[in-house]
Amino acid sequence: MRHTKLALAVLTAAVLTACGGGGTSPNGGDQTNKLTFTNQVSFGDSLSDVGTYRVGAVAAAGGGKFTINGDSTAKNEDLNGKIWLDFMAAQLNLPAPCAAQTGLQGDASRGFSVPIVTYANCYNYAQGGARVTNPIGPGNAQAGSPIGETTVPLVTQVSNHLAKVNGKFTGTELVTVVAGGGDILFQLGTLTQVGTTAGAQAFGTALATRLAAGATDPRAAAQAIGIAIATENARPGKTDQSVVQAAVGAAARQPGNQAVAQPAVYGPIVAAAQLDGTTAGNNAVAAYTTANAARLVTEMGTAGAQMAALVKNELIAKGAKYVIVGNLPDVASTPAAKTRPVAIQQLATAMISAFNTQLKNGLGADDARILYTDLYTVSNDQVKNPGPYGLTNTSTPACAANALGTTSLICTANNTVAGDVSRYMFADETHPTPFEYDLIARYVLKDMAVKGWL
Amino acid sequence: MKVRFNSMIKVLGVAAALAFAQGAAAQSAGQLTAKFGVNQITPKVESGDISAPALPGTKADVGRDMQPVLIFAYGLTDNISVEAALGTPYKHKLYGAGAIEGTGLLGTAEALPAIAFLQYRFFQPTATFRPFVGIGATYAYFMKERGSARMTAITNPGSGVPTTFSIDSKFTYTAQVGVAMNLSEKWFADVTVNKTRLRTDVNFSTGQTQAMKLDPVSVVLAVGYKF
Repeated sequence: MRHTKLALAVLTAAVLTACGGGGTSPNGGDQTNKLTFTNQVSFGDSLSDVGTYRVGAVAAAGGGKFTINGDSTAKNEDLNGKIWLDFMAAQLNLPAPCAAQTGLQGDASRGFSVPIVTYANCYNYAQGGARVTNPIGPGNAQAGSPIGETTVPLVTQVSNHLAKVNGKFTGTELVTVVAGGGDILFQLGTLTQVGTTAGAQAFGTALATRLAAGATDPRAAAQAIGIAIATENARPGKTDQSVVQAAVGAAARQPGNQAVAQPAVYGPIVAAAQLDGTTAGNNAVAAYTTANAARLVTEMGTAGAQMAALVKNELIAKGAKYVIVGNLPDVASTPAAKTRPVAIQQLATAMISAFNTQLKNGLGADDARILYTDLYTVSNDQVKNPGPYGLTNTSTPACAANALGTTSLICTANNTVAGDVSRYMFADETHPTPFEYDLIARYVLKDMAVKGWL
Repeated sequence: MKVRFNSMIKVLGVAAALAFAQGAAAQSAGQLTAKFGVNQITPKVESGDISAPALPGTKADVGRDMQPVLIFAYGLTDNISVEAALGTPYKHKLYGAGAIEGTGLLGTAEALPAIAFLQYRFFQPTATFRPFVGIGATYAYFMKERGSARMTAITNPGSGVPTTFSIDSKFTYTAQVGVAMNLSEKWFADVTVNKTRLRTDVNFSTGQTQAMKLDPVSVVLAVGYKF
């Protein structure tokens, strides 16, 4: 018996010894970062924009970032309205990033014309729609957008900052650069425009011709229907439905053609015309793609090389010591591309590859001052393999249609699609939700730790 | 620290009293031995992936630690003995591995493995070399789990809430082999290798979990005295 007692005494003593030190329960430990940055300076496109356009009607709608806007953490803790740079700055104990410039140059009648203001103490220059060097990006008034985004290109963003700091970085800033999105979306937008225009034209022609077939004088009837379609098309507020109604109405008024007013008669005709339109649209896109693919890929590659040159010549050479360069995420895996024909997805993939290859090549060998973070690979993997990331949907935008169409710029937790969208990957066709931005922040911070910056 | 030191002295006192009560005897039935040495614990880690949301394949590695150890054995017969150890906690460093390889030190945790062995010692008590084998009931107690800015950064960045974690303490078992060498009538030295089966779970304050197979190997080098 004595042995047992001894063993127990020793065991008990061991546990007592352990408990003696106090504070045995888990805690966060030392939360001090390895490096202390003085501020976070960001250049780029919508993925880094923290509110360039949060003015006028955009601000009134509760928008301003390209994600699900606003703090709705009361509803769901992941709906915090933050982008990756917000998470990064907070983690690095830096002030919340603010837009270095605000303003809109769009439709004044809709509240999209707001004077441009610059902020001396804000260092986030990223603007939605911004391209690497071309000043006209998607969302710009000159690209036909009523919103009138300023889309100040990367090259100008950098020179604006250098002008502010007398041409020199102190070397203690954490600089982030993510671009190329504006460039590829602008080109894909052009493709869409080509397809839409050709499709609408073909649809109108087919609809008029097919609806006129039963009239006594088909040619005159087709002309009259065509005029009705054109008139309705020109009317603000027209819809596909109203165009069809106008066409059917005009068709039924043609001598010998009353029967076409019956839904059973015009229904199949409209369906056939729509098919004609879709086919023509796709054909036009395919033709444009074939004719322009090589040029588009080359241009994206050039943009990547220009971005690399900016990083080396205007950031590193001007004293920046901690520059995070994100490559272009996999736009070809976004809903914007996935809903397009395969040929366009392939073109998008080729364009992204050209951009990223030139960017990486341009940055050259590993540099202690440059952290190249592979957003492409992680975004590509997230779409294919969402489970481990905690993503519940990687194919459908979380935001429902809004007054500006589908852009998340004015999306809030109040106008998302039905159901729990908090862990969707995409807010709109291309932009991440706050949860996805959180994942991006973690990924970049992981890379910073590996680089020895965290 | 004060409390710990006091209780240590108390235990030493108890042990010494027991030893003297036994009186000097040959290394045999009814004999108490005490040995002092160092124990290096090396976890043989097979980390599971941390659960969502995380980069797929996010794993952890656990470093080794060495601490002084005081071990008592008591002979039930000439060949069968029981053994228990007294020691300070082992402080293990946790590193990022797998998909987060290279992130470095992410946290620390202290482990206190309490093991009661039943041993079989070969040969006669007077033999110069006495190999032994043992099997032990083990309680692996984990405490003082400490995170870091890096751990917070890759699990819950910018929230202002540091990520914490706790490791489930486990009852398990340990196998032992060793050999003792009698240096004189009273003094001996021995080397012992212990292998513990240890599968546990790490629970993070973010709601994430991670299965860890630690299966530590500990190597003890000690010099002892027969009372």
